[in-house]
Amino acid sequence: MINKKIIENVIEAALSTGGDFAEIFIEDKKGIGINMISGKTENIMSGRDYGIGIRIFKDFNSVYAYTNKSDESTLIQTAKKASKALLGENIISRSLINNMKIEQNHKIEIKPSEIPTKKKIEAMRRAYESAKGFDDIISQVTVNYQDYNQKIAVANSEGIYVEDERTRTRLAIGAVATRDGEMQSGSSSPGAQQGFEFIENLDLEWHGKEAARIAKTMVEADYSPSGKMPVIIHNGFGGVIFHEACGHGLEATSVAKNNSVFAEKIGEKVASDIVTAVDDGTIPNEWGSSNIDDEGNPTQKNILIENGVLKGYMIDKLNGRRMNMKATGSSRRQSYKYPPTSRMTNTFIASGKSNFDEIISSTEKGLFAKYMGGGSVNPATGEFNFAVMEGYLVENGKIIKPVRGATLIGKGINILKKIDMVGDNLSFGQGMCGSSSGSVPANVGQPTIRVSEITVGGRE
Amino acid sequence: MRDFNELKTKIYNKAKEIGIKDLEIYYSQGRDLNIKVFEKEIDGYKLAESEGLALRGKYKDEMGYSYTEKVDETSIDFLIENLIENAKNIEREDKEEIFEGVKEYKEVNNFNSSLEKVEEIEKINFVKNLEEEALKIDERIKSIQDCVYGDGFSETVISNTKGLDLQDKSNLAYTYIGVVAKEGEDIQSGFAYKVTNDFNELDYKVIAKEAVEEAISKLGAKSIKSGKYPIIMRNNAASDIIEAFASIFSAERVQKNLSLLKGKLNEKVGSEKITLVDDPYMKKGYASSAFDSEGVPTFKKNIIENGVLNTYLHNLKTALKDGIDSTGNASRSSYKSSIGISPTNMYIKPGDKSLKELMVEMEEGIMITDVQGLHAGLNPISGDFSLSAQGYKIEKGKIMFPVNQITISGNFLDMMKDIIEIGDDLKFGLPSSAYIGSPSIRIKSLDVAGE
Repeated sequence: MINKKIIENVIEAALSTGGDFAEIFIEDKKGIGINMISGKTENIMSGRDYGIGIRIFKDFNSVYAYTNKSDESTLIQTAKKASKALLGENIISRSLINNMKIEQNHKIEIKPSEIPTKKKIEAMRRAYESAKGFDDIISQVTVNYQDYNQKIAVANSEGIYVEDERTRTRLAIGAVATRDGEMQSGSSSPGAQQGFEFIENLDLEWHGKEAARIAKTMVEADYSPSGKMPVIIHNGFGGVIFHEACGHGLEATSVAKNNSVFAEKIGEKVASDIVTAVDDGTIPNEWGSSNIDDEGNPTQKNILIENGVLKGYMIDKLNGRRMNMKATGSSRRQSYKYPPTSRMTNTFIASGKSNFDEIISSTEKGLFAKYMGGGSVNPATGEFNFAVMEGYLVENGKIIKPVRGATLIGKGINILKKIDMVGDNLSFGQGMCGSSSGSVPANVGQPTIRVSEITVGGRE
Repeated sequence: MRDFNELKTKIYNKAKEIGIKDLEIYYSQGRDLNIKVFEKEIDGYKLAESEGLALRGKYKDEMGYSYTEKVDETSIDFLIENLIENAKNIEREDKEEIFEGVKEYKEVNNFNSSLEKVEEIEKINFVKNLEEEALKIDERIKSIQDCVYGDGFSETVISNTKGLDLQDKSNLAYTYIGVVAKEGEDIQSGFAYKVTNDFNELDYKVIAKEAVEEAISKLGAKSIKSGKYPIIMRNNAASDIIEAFASIFSAERVQKNLSLLKGKLNEKVGSEKITLVDDPYMKKGYASSAFDSEGVPTFKKNIIENGVLNTYLHNLKTALKDGIDSTGNASRSSYKSSIGISPTNMYIKPGDKSLKELMVEMEEGIMITDVQGLHAGLNPISGDFSLSAQGYKIEKGKIMFPVNQITISGNFLDMMKDIIEIGDDLKFGLPSSAYIGSPSIRIKSLDVAGE
């Protein structure tokens, strides 16, 4: 994407004050976002993100600089300015960069850029009609469509030069139901590392209806009970519980500085025997996948927890130095505006042996969280919280009635040990995960699981 | 700037040639610095110079948008093609117009030239001192989560073919620290920040002390029995919640049936104690500006006055639909976004009681010092919230013990109506498109879930 000779000169400038590693990240991304309200397109924005990030290490210290300009003199100036934050003499010589070829594991059939905007809007309208037509109680429907193509190149002083291309497409439907002046909402937001074939193969009507069904169910629901109780969390986006409660604490970003409850616990039992958890950035065409991470390492399948025992972390190059461990292909960033760090890709609890009906029927009294909203965690204390988008009360082994407004709170390390049933129905849900290197697409996933006790926040 | 003017002329000419009627350029450029310290060393250092340019223009009577971060001549065709394709596909009925501007705008100064002259070594020393100080105040502080200093400068130009030509520049410094306190198995965190454009206002001792005291005061925190409790929402927690609900005041959301304030104009929506102000001219208001993102002059207003909803926040499009004037609240969070609506410096007008007095008056209850999960546990469409929270149990008007692992639940409008008293300790959150603040607020009660 930039002449190799220029890249070599920039890396040399970056190392001029004693840095022991330098990297250049080039990004060129084009995309479109379309917003539809009441069945009519309201806003359409398309454009191009373009910039170059330069990163330099010296031992555990790191420096990062970025610019939108790609001419040699600006880049060398930027590298020199950044390198001034490190004091020393140039001792490391860079290696000449070599092309590293990678295979595209995420095949794109239809480039979204070649599809006219009209066709994208037609698909949005089908989802809209289906949601709006679900029931008279549906008062508003919003549909957002997004696609982008991100081309990146990573080169570094160890001689790597590698390019990658990521295409992602996503549709998000939000429905609002109104009853007696009171409003509740539901949503469905499928996405993938695919081209427009993702939309063509998507059951648009089902997703529209599902968003509407959740909103209607919730506006007619009573408030959730509160207090400690068993909670059954459904498959798919329910995996956000692992993502928030444990995943963030397994990122080297918090482990390396001893700011995680999971630090120094490799080989220890941290979860119940039936829990195996994985972060796998290689799954073809999944939302959180890529061929290489954002520091140029091939992505890989990382076993985090196996049968309850902590096996590994997600590690980036810089934190790997601190931890004296190898990087795991987990280094990600929102854009050239962020230095990369260890992040999750597609993170999930592996399938277990129970089936869904068995889990419900063996629960005397508790909450069934069919769809989760988002959540957050404080990695230092492990305290998490997240919202239940669609919940039900379970009594005597049966789903009794829908309940709204439930929040689940707790500490990750306690929850993992309290998982007492794991279903056989693993599926994924798509989200955007925000952290120190920005907002990145991340898949969460799990089969239906039961946690023997969580604090449920509600209003009754 | 000469390069920019040349580029502008070329874009205008090309657009005219191709049939784009009114065209506006939104250009911003800036620099950013961010220094992170860990164990006395510079652990992260980020330096940026960046720019971006967006077009907004009328093609066949519809508004089209496009943007690029590659700001040079090679992008002109890309920008114009995208603008036209996007304009062709707009279906909404409400018309968006480009504004010609007014003769005079007030003076607003968000730029402090002295900040640009602070030597880098002073900044590095500041953030190193901050970490060192936080670690030495109390031996139970075992590690530092984040210790950061940052500053930035940005300049925005809005220029259009109807004659509008406005420039705005601002700079800002910020610092924050997160500390971790440990006692036995008990781990608690504390956080403090400061935002200013005067480097001399940054006092590492004050910031370190605040974060450390917060973490230490939470040691030994426990959950409490579920039930309804009288509540004091401390200033920072109150402003976080108001910020998360800020979209309900947007006329756009009201017109699209997405706000719980629809149909409530001129009605009582809260206790008589509450007055909510939007003040684009506030001193040290980091969202201050003489004009909004459409170039419309801004003005100070009470959105809620003594509990009555006086106005929604408008841009030109929503104002036209309602047959009124814009309130000067058009907003673009960056060149990548289209024209939306946002408050400027928005805050609940402080009362005259101290936090201590609020505690004494409440006698028994909970003071909430921190809420989490605002993006998920709070629904700006329904007004319902259920948030993970921390705080202190108050008995006989005094802090008895720290509380955590609870949730507080309620509805925003019910909470506004249940406000009993407003404190005098107005505090603002971290600035984004808007800068939002609140004093501590005493509320009749909220549902608390715990043990």
